[in-house]
Parts: sequence; C-alpha cells; structure tokens
Amino acid sequence: MEDFAAGGGPPDLAQFQATMLAIERACNENQMCMNSAAAEATIVSLHQSPNPYLCCRFILENSQLANARFQAAGAIRDAAIREWGTLSDEDKKGLIFFCICFVMKHATATDGYVQNKVSSVAAQLMKRGWLDFTKSEKESVFSEVKNAIIGMHGANAQFAGINFLESVVTEFSPSTSSAMGLPAEFHEKCGSSFEQDYLQKFYCWAQDAALGVTNRIVECRETLAEDRVCSAALCLMFQILNWDFKCAGDPLDTSNNRINHEIAMLRKFEFVLVQPGRLWHDVLISSGHITWLLGLYDTMRAKCSVDVIWFDSPLAVSARQLIVQLCSLTGAIFSSDNGQTQEKHLLQILSAVLKWMDPPAAVIAAVRSGRPDSEILDGCHAFLSMATLTSTLLFDNLLRPIRSYGTLQFLSALTCEIIQAHGVGNNEEDTWCSDALDILLETWNVLLRRTDIEKNVLSREGSEAIVILFNTIVESHLKAAVNSAFDELADSEHFHASIAVRDERLASYALIARKVASVTIPFLIRLFSERFSTLCQGKGVTDPTCILEELYWLLLISGHILTDSWEGETMMVPDELQTSFVDIDDVAQHPVVVLSWSVIKFAEQSLDPDMRTNFFSPRLMEAMVWFLSRWISTYLMPTKTSKSYSSTLIGRTVDHSKNLLLTFAGEDNEGRSLLDIFVRISLVVFTSYPGEIELLSLTCQHMLPALVRRKNVCIHLVTLDSWRSLSNAFVNERILFSLPSRLQRSLAESLVGSVSALKETEASNQYVRDLMGPIATYLVDMCTKDSVKTFAQQPDILFMVCCFLERLRGAARATESRTQKAIFDVAVSAMDPILTLLEVYKDQSAVVYIILKFIVDFVDAQVVFLTPKDMATLVNFCMKLLQIYSSHNIGKISLSMSTSLLNEAKAEKYKDLRALLQLLTHLCTKDMVDFSVASEEECVNIAEVVFLGLHIVTPLVSMDLLKYPKLCKNYFELLSHLLEVYPEKVAQLNADAFKYIVLTIDFGIHQQDSDVVDMCLRAVAALSSHHYRERSRGQEGLGAYAVSSYGPEGTLQEGFLSHFLRLLLHLILFEDFSMELAGSAADALLPLVLCEQDLYQRLVQELIERLPNPSLKPRLAFALQSLTSSNQLSASLDRVNRQRFRKNLSKLLVDVSGFLRVK
Amino acid sequence: MSDEEHHFESKADAGASKTYPQQAGTIRKNGYIVIKARPCKVVEVSTSKTGKHGHAKCHFVAIDIFNGKKLEDIVPSSHNCDVPHVNRTDYQLIDISEDGFVSLLTENGSTKDDLRLPTDEPLLSQIKDGFADGKDLVVTVMSAMGEEQICAIKDIGPK
Repeated sequence: MEDFAAGGGPPDLAQFQATMLAIERACNENQMCMNSAAAEATIVSLHQSPNPYLCCRFILENSQLANARFQAAGAIRDAAIREWGTLSDEDKKGLIFFCICFVMKHATATDGYVQNKVSSVAAQLMKRGWLDFTKSEKESVFSEVKNAIIGMHGANAQFAGINFLESVVTEFSPSTSSAMGLPAEFHEKCGSSFEQDYLQKFYCWAQDAALGVTNRIVECRETLAEDRVCSAALCLMFQILNWDFKCAGDPLDTSNNRINHEIAMLRKFEFVLVQPGRLWHDVLISSGHITWLLGLYDTMRAKCSVDVIWFDSPLAVSARQLIVQLCSLTGAIFSSDNGQTQEKHLLQILSAVLKWMDPPAAVIAAVRSGRPDSEILDGCHAFLSMATLTSTLLFDNLLRPIRSYGTLQFLSALTCEIIQAHGVGNNEEDTWCSDALDILLETWNVLLRRTDIEKNVLSREGSEAIVILFNTIVESHLKAAVNSAFDELADSEHFHASIAVRDERLASYALIARKVASVTIPFLIRLFSERFSTLCQGKGVTDPTCILEELYWLLLISGHILTDSWEGETMMVPDELQTSFVDIDDVAQHPVVVLSWSVIKFAEQSLDPDMRTNFFSPRLMEAMVWFLSRWISTYLMPTKTSKSYSSTLIGRTVDHSKNLLLTFAGEDNEGRSLLDIFVRISLVVFTSYPGEIELLSLTCQHMLPALVRRKNVCIHLVTLDSWRSLSNAFVNERILFSLPSRLQRSLAESLVGSVSALKETEASNQYVRDLMGPIATYLVDMCTKDSVKTFAQQPDILFMVCCFLERLRGAARATESRTQKAIFDVAVSAMDPILTLLEVYKDQSAVVYIILKFIVDFVDAQVVFLTPKDMATLVNFCMKLLQIYSSHNIGKISLSMSTSLLNEAKAEKYKDLRALLQLLTHLCTKDMVDFSVASEEECVNIAEVVFLGLHIVTPLVSMDLLKYPKLCKNYFELLSHLLEVYPEKVAQLNADAFKYIVLTIDFGIHQQDSDVVDMCLRAVAALSSHHYRERSRGQEGLGAYAVSSYGPEGTLQEGFLSHFLRLLLHLILFEDFSMELAGSAADALLPLVLCEQDLYQRLVQELIERLPNPSLKPRLAFALQSLTSSNQLSASLDRVNRQRFRKNLSKLLVDVSGFLRVK
Repeated sequence: MSDEEHHFESKADAGASKTYPQQAGTIRKNGYIVIKARPCKVVEVSTSKTGKHGHAKCHFVAIDIFNGKKLEDIVPSSHNCDVPHVNRTDYQLIDISEDGFVSLLTENGSTKDDLRLPTDEPLLSQIKDGFADGKDLVVTVMSAMGEEQICAIKDIGPK
C-alpha cells in the first residue's frame, strides 16, 4: 500500500540525506531571517523539482525538524498536482495512502501544523482524482479512515481521522478549496458529488465518535485525547453544517408565513442559514441528536463551570458553536406540518440557550467580574438566528410556554442591561459589550424592519418592552454625554470611521423608536424643550457645555428617527411615521411636526449673534446642519409621489395623517419661510465660523446640495433675497475666499446648480455669467500683466488662483443644458490665461493638478453638448495643454534630501498623469455620443486627437509609474479602448509610438492584476483581428509593423504578430496562468495563429522537441494538434468559430499545462 | 470681487516680504507653511477641537524644504499662519567648479556663480554625472526666506 515508486530508479539514500540537510538548513535560515532569498530558493527548488516524492517521503519520515517536514508535504502536493496527468494510478493512490497512514501513525506528534498539512495534501490529492477514481477506490480510502474514527486504533488515530475528514470537507467546499489550475466547473462537480455521497456519512461518523467518548466526559473520567476527539468531532459537525447545501433541491414550504427564509441579515456576522434538505431529517431531527447535544453541554456546564476557564475550553466552544449553528436550521428538513416541528426545535434550543443569559443582570455581572464573554456572545448569536427565521409574533411567543413573559420582553431586558454595562464601562477593554450590543441591535433590526408586520402584531407587553428599551437607550446616552462633555475630541484618522459606526448604531436605535413612535417622539420633544429652556435660563450663569452635549446627542437621534439615511434617490418620510399617528387631525399636534418645529426654532436662534456666541458651539452647529440637511431632503416641499393611496376602510384616515406630513413644510405652507431660514443659517456658518472645517464641509457638501437637489425647491430658492446675498457674498466677500478650496468647488456647484430651475435660458446664463465672469476677468487681467511671473508666486495670489480654479471646476460639474453655454463661454475666455498659468505655475504642483482636474471635469460635463466648432476649440486647447505639461515634465528629475518629499513629488506626478489619461478617455466619449452626426465636414477627428494626446502623454508614463495599480488600470483602459475602436489608426503611428505601445502591452500582460492582463489581451486580439481581416480583403493591415524585418543595423526587428504569438504561447503554457483569462487569451491567440500559420507550426515543433520527457511528446503533439483541428475549427474570426477555439484552448490547458510547467 | 485685489502691481515687487499670512484652515497637504521660522512643505494635516465644544485647531506635520527635517505645529484653524514665498527659477548649467560652486546662465544672459552644490552625495552625483555625460542640463533653483537650493534638474537634450 505504501509503495509508490514514481519516477523509477533505485532510491539514492545519500542523495536524499543531502537534500534533507539542505532543506533543514534553509528552513532554519528562513526562520532566523538570515540569507532568506537563498533559503527561499532552496525550498522553491524542492517544490518545483520533478518526481520529488521519494525524497519528500524520506524527509517526512526522517527529519527531526517540523518545518522541513512541512515543506516536504507541500512539495508532494505541488508536484503531484502538477504531474497528475503523468502519474500512474498506483502512484496516485499510493501517495494518498502514504499521507493518510503518515498522519495516523504520527497522531501523537506535537506539531499539529505538520499533521494538518499532510492531511490537507491527502485531501487535495483525493479531490484531484475524484472524478477519475471508481467508487470502490474511494470506499477503500474512506473505510480505512472510518475504522480509525470509530475508535478501532485508539483515541489518537481517531483524532487524526477526524482531522483528515475536516481537510476533505474544506477542500470539497467550493468556497474554501485550494486552487489546482482547473476550471471552476471541476470544483463544483466534485463538490456536488461529494455532498451526495459522503457528507452525511461523515456527519454520522463524527457523531459516533463523539458519542463514544461522551460517557466518560460526562463522568469526568476522560483523558486529554478523548477530550480532543470530542471537540474535533463537534467542530467537524459544525463545519459540515456550514456547507452550502445544493442537493437539497426540495421546494421550500412557503405556506407557513411564520417562518422566514431570508438570510441577508445573518451574513453580517458570517452566519448562514442551514438548509440541508429532507434527507437529513433522520440524522438531525428524529434521532434525538439535538437533545443529546444540549444535554451534553448542560451536564458539562453544571459540572465544570466552577472553573471559569472552562467556558473557553475547545470542547465548550465547539459545542456552543454547533448549537448556535443548529438554530439556523431550516428548509425542507422539517416535515411540512405547518412549521410545528421547527417551532418545537427552536423552543428546545431557546430553553437551553436561555440558561446562558438568564437573569441578564447576574450574567453580565459575572462576565464583568471575570467570566469569559464567549457564552453570552454565542447566546446573542442564537437570538439573531432565531429572529431571522421566525416572524416577529412567533419570536415573541416562543418563550411563553416556559416563561410568563414573551421573548421580546426578555430581549429588551437583556439589551437594556448590555447598554447600561456598555455605558458604565466605556473603556476599550469592554469590547464584548459593544459586540453583544451590535448583535442584539441587529436582532432588533431583523424583528422590527419587516415590512409585513402591521403594528397590531406587537402585543401590549411587547410594545411596552420596546418603550422601556428606548428610554434606557436615551437615558444611558444622555448620561454618557454629560460625562464626556469636557473630553478632548481627538480627531484622528479614524474619525470618519467612528462616525460611520456611531450612525449605524443610531439608525438601529431609530428603528426601535419608530416602532413605538407615539410614545418615543413626544418623549424626545419633552427632553428637547427641557434642555432648551434650561439652557436659556442658565445664560451667563452656568457653563452650558453639558447641556450642549446632550442637545448634540438629541439632535442626532431625532435626525435618525425622523429621516432615513442619505443613500437612496429620493428621501421618503419613513413608513412607520406615516402610519403611526392616524388619529391625529390637527397639524400643530402631530408629534413629527412638533419635533421638527422645535429643532428648527432652536436652529433659528443661531441667527441671533448673542445666542450664537453663547450657545452655538461649532460642534452643536455640526449636528444642527447635519439634521437640517436630512430634514430638508425628506420634508421640505416634498414632491407628490404618484403612489396611489390605499383604498381600504382605514385608508382615508391614514391618508390624512400622511398628507399632514407631506404638506406641513410644503410649498403652500411654511416651505418658503423655512427655505429662507436655512439659507441664512448657511450664510452665518460661512461668516461666523471661519476655519471650522467640519462644519463648513457639512454645509457645503450636504446642506446646500440638499437645498438645490430638487427643481421645485430651486424655483423658490432663486427668488429669495437671502439666496441672492449668498451669491453676492460668493462673488465679493473676502471671507468666502477663505473657505478651503475643495469647499469652494462644492459651493460653486450648488450655486450654479440652483439656476437649473429658472424658466428662461437667458436668465440662467446671466446668473452664471454674474457668478463666474469676474473670475475669468481676474485671470485674464492677471495673465496680461508683464510681471505675472514674479507676483504669481506670492502665496496670496497663489491661493486666489487655486480658489478660482476650484470654483470654475465646481461650475463645470454643475453643467446642465440650460447653463452649458454660459459655462462654456466663461471657460473659453479663461483658456488662454489657464495655459499661461500652467506655464507660470509649472513648479507648483498643487496648481497644476487643480488645472488638470478642472479640464477633466469640464470636458466630461461639456462634451455631449458641444457643436463641432466648439469641440474644435476645446480639442485645440487640450492639445496645447498636453504639450505644455509634457514639455515641463519630460526628463525632469526632482532632487531633495528628504525621501518623503521625493515620494510626495512622485505621488503628485502620478496623480497628474491619471488626470491626463482621464482627460483623454473623456475626449474619446465624444465619438460615442456623436455616432449619428459624425459625417459633418468640420468635425474633429477624435481618434487622431486622442492618439496624438496619447503620444504626448506616454513618454511621461514610465514603467515605474505603471506599477501604481490605479494608473496602470487607467492607462490600459484607454489603450485597449483605442486599439479596439480604432485599430486602423495604429498602422499610421510612427515607429517609436508603435514600439512604445507594444512595450507597454508586453508589460501589462505580465502584471498580476487580471483585469489589466485581460485588457491587454483584448488589445492584442483587436489589433491582430484587424490585421487578419484587412489582409483577407487584400489590404495592408498593420503593414510593416506586422512582419519581422531587419533594421538598419542588421538587427532583427520582430513583428507585432510573431512577438505576441510567441509571448502568448509561452504565457499560457509555461507560466502561472489563471484559467479565468483563458477566454480572452483564446480570442487573442486565434487571429495570431491564423495570421502566422507557419511560425505557429514551427513553434509547436520546437515545443515538442524541447520536452524533456520523451514519453510525453505524443501527448503534447496530440493536444496541440486538436487545438487547431478539433471542433470543426475554420479559418474565420466569426463568433461561432471563436467560441470553438475558446473551448479547444481550455481543454488544452486542462490537459497539458500541468506537466509543461515542470522546470 | 473688490477692487483692491486687482492691484497685482502693489505687491509685484514685494519680494522683500518673505512670508504671507493665510488662514490655517485653508492650508492643505502639499501646501507650504512656516514652522519655527523655517519654510516647510505640509505632508499631513489633521484637525481636532479644544474640548468637544471648543474651536477647531489644525495639526500640521511638515518637512523643511531645504534640509528635509520634520517639524510639527498646532494652530487654531481660524488663525493665520505664515506661508513662505517659495520661488523657483530655471537656469542653464554652464559649469561645476572644483570648490563646489556651480555656474549658471540666467535668462538675461549673465551668470550666477554664488550657488553651492548640494552636499548630499546622491544628489551631488546626479548633477555631476549628468554634467559629466555632456548633457544639456537645466537646473531649477528653489528659493524661500533668503535661502536657495537646487531642487530639480532636467535634461533638455542636444539642441
């Protein structure tokens, strides 16, 4: 059984000994980080050597060094996968048996990772041969293993056997399998065949193994080895239940609406629904398996939990893991008895899990005083799984048979305790609190977000529980606010990430609050007005900081309750708020309205300078502006949705209440005056909070865009005096020039965007001219001065120029058909100055970058509108720009003592080039838009322009810069687009340009990023197909570039076609080529082969002759023969033929690439 | 835009004024700033608040543009910082003398001979090697706050 003699020849022990020593030395050196390149090379050479099996076996059996054994196992794997096609059947089986026997024999070894590696090698080889082995061959392997697992060779072998099965399951599950250079189809086939034949068997074996040792464990007489066996068996069962079951096949029983089948919610915590199908019913449900498992855990817990370490012991952890996994069991495994079996199943687990966390206060106290947190976290996960599977009503009722209250009440009590513990601890070490809270909030989300539950589904106690929960949330957060009010606000790089986390939590709280909105919103109104009046009373007497912090938090939570998050096209009034207040008739009484008014009234106070300096700290204003932005998008002059209102009996009152919410800030009511307040607040922010970047950004990037987002609002906006003063301030006020430049851009964008609502085009254009005209004038003035070179470098002038360019960019981004003309005219008048500026500021990288970005955005926004004449102006300008940029930067080397400054300089170059490539890409789109009118005389030839541009830019794109992934992608996107759309232009390029293109494609094909390789392959395919088609029509095609020729100095200039033919063949046959690119490689290879038949035949001959192993020659010859002849391949490039060739190529790769890669 | 800003000339000869005030909040990464009387390039800006409800302040990490040393500063973001007037001028390199000075050709045809070569070996060799190879080199000289240094070279190729 252990005889495998692959390769033949008598074993040369001395040789093996030498190799072993070399490998051991390399492993040691690697570990000590000495000489690691050489050590690496030694190890790699073992992995790549042909037929290393006997030698590796020698090392495995004789080396004292675990690392060396590990490497030897890895080498067996690599070699066998590579040489699989040439190994005899005996050798294959021999290798598998050797590995399995090895792990059994050395089951007591202490170096677990070597054992795992050998197991996994056996599993991978098993899988590699899975589709070829006969049933009995597989049986013979697994029956060995089974004997070990049921304990025939003692506990250690049992453990090794279970471990091996774990590796097998890992390998066969498509998501965790190792790559073998085979198509995905192979992995799937293996997976499903394995699921059908073995998965359940394995589960039962594991179960048997566990059962065999539990008695001793329960009696506390177990040995360490038995303990290990039991936890490994439980782990294996858990792993099997994690399988993505495909064969279940049975239709889901959807008749029962109390059980849900959505799984999206669990994903977040890496849990999945377990749907193994009817076939598993016996094993999991009717066999009493679950009762046994729960009983086992219970008994152990009762006996062992005196020692808190037990909670984190492998056995306890794996048992709990399995229990939680069983919670999410669902689907056809339960007989269709209207969900009763499943409900019983859930109750059974719930009553077990409840012991882990009831009573919550005591359990949390225990954890706080040192008990591991793992049990309570697992309990929370179980709740989440159950909530996912059950309707809210069923979830609530689950607990009733065994308790006097419903599950919601328990969940509420638990969550309250966790929140309080979270508030008290509030230090970094208590992360478990935060984790538990996340899981519980997700559970609440699942329960409350369901759209199908009507309000009356919640029992009275359920609603009360939710109210209590929300009150606890508010109280604990207000307390925390007061306690932290004087903390330093360290604004690190994690600032925005922490805000995102905070917002996610607040959104969950809001969901809870909305469910019982009729209680919680009035509660918030009361809190808000209390704080407000305390604030005013204490004016000038007490320090308001604590109250400010409380108000800050109240603003955030109110915002989250009243509105949904930014994402989404149109913000809608949340459904729960529309339906919660059907009995309210008077708009002034509606809680949503009252809460909105109180916040806005408060916000209005900030317009009073005295109040502002006393109370409105930048932080409070941030919350305010944030609240207003969301509120504006939701409630201010909402557009009537076309959704027809319900026609049920209660429909009319619901409609009335909905209508109240949609109209109270509508155009006919308070809308206009509110709008005025908001604009004035934004002016106040600009004038009274200089330098408060966060606040200014919120205003420029959220509030103003919210105001101009909808046309019906803009119509009112542009008529307001306050909006006019904002526009005036924008043009004239110094203070607005001190906004950070990116905010200048968004401000300009909002202002220009607002006029899209003006009725007359002329009026909108006039508005744009008023806003932007002075900028162009300034730039023109500046650039006509003789001394521009000197004074332009002054920091203040520099700053102004940056401001103006950012403003122009903002305006360009706001381009719409109505304002396009004016923006274009302003930009045209600024074109000459901009070229001058590019010259003057050639050493000010910041200015250069802003100029480039402005042009990029400008071209992107304008290109669709332009007439051929305007387009010519624009293209002309762009070309001048490119030339100037290139003349400044070509051949330039920055010198600096500081490496970080040098790196900065490089990063700047890189950003510039990306912008230039984007510019060219945007110019390309003109051709796509103008397909229909392309025939006009004066039309610019975009293709020529872009090629010219590329010609200017490419010398700046050094190979070093192409190593930046984003730039690399931009470049090859543009290149492959050009070559695919305009292959005929390539032939007209000059020799240098063409050579450069070939060089970069060559570079791209060898990149790691498969997208880039794909684009390069497409480019090659496009060019060679073009050439082939042209030639068949008797045309030139790529002409001189296609064929090899002798250069002036007598050196051979390889032609495009032969170069890439060689390159591609080498790439797909000898290098680590990913199967997912096989399709595009085939598309590129086919035209090359067709163009260069002779060369191809020669290359094939060469390949076959160079093959070191003569026995393989006929095989390779046959495979290459079928590549071009099977499947009725013809000499055309039509779709059908390309598809055939794709199939042929992937067959070739599967057949021969393994043994060709042997070095 | 008020009229005063059109008077470029009034400041055109203000080369004497070495620095200009600018609001700290508007100084970005890659901009210039004066820290401890040294002209620096900003490589990192972060903001924080003095107490939760206080005002914002900016924390700058910057690198001295001449000697490459790292400097840091914290300034309230509405206050003004000094921004150095950094100028760059291109000259054609005519000669490198034995004593470590370069001879540069100015735009108006005269020569500038008061500039030392950098002392740092790699930088020095980049200039020397290029010159020794007979390339036509243009050097960019960066000046700020009364100091000068060669900051870039460019091969303009044989004419």
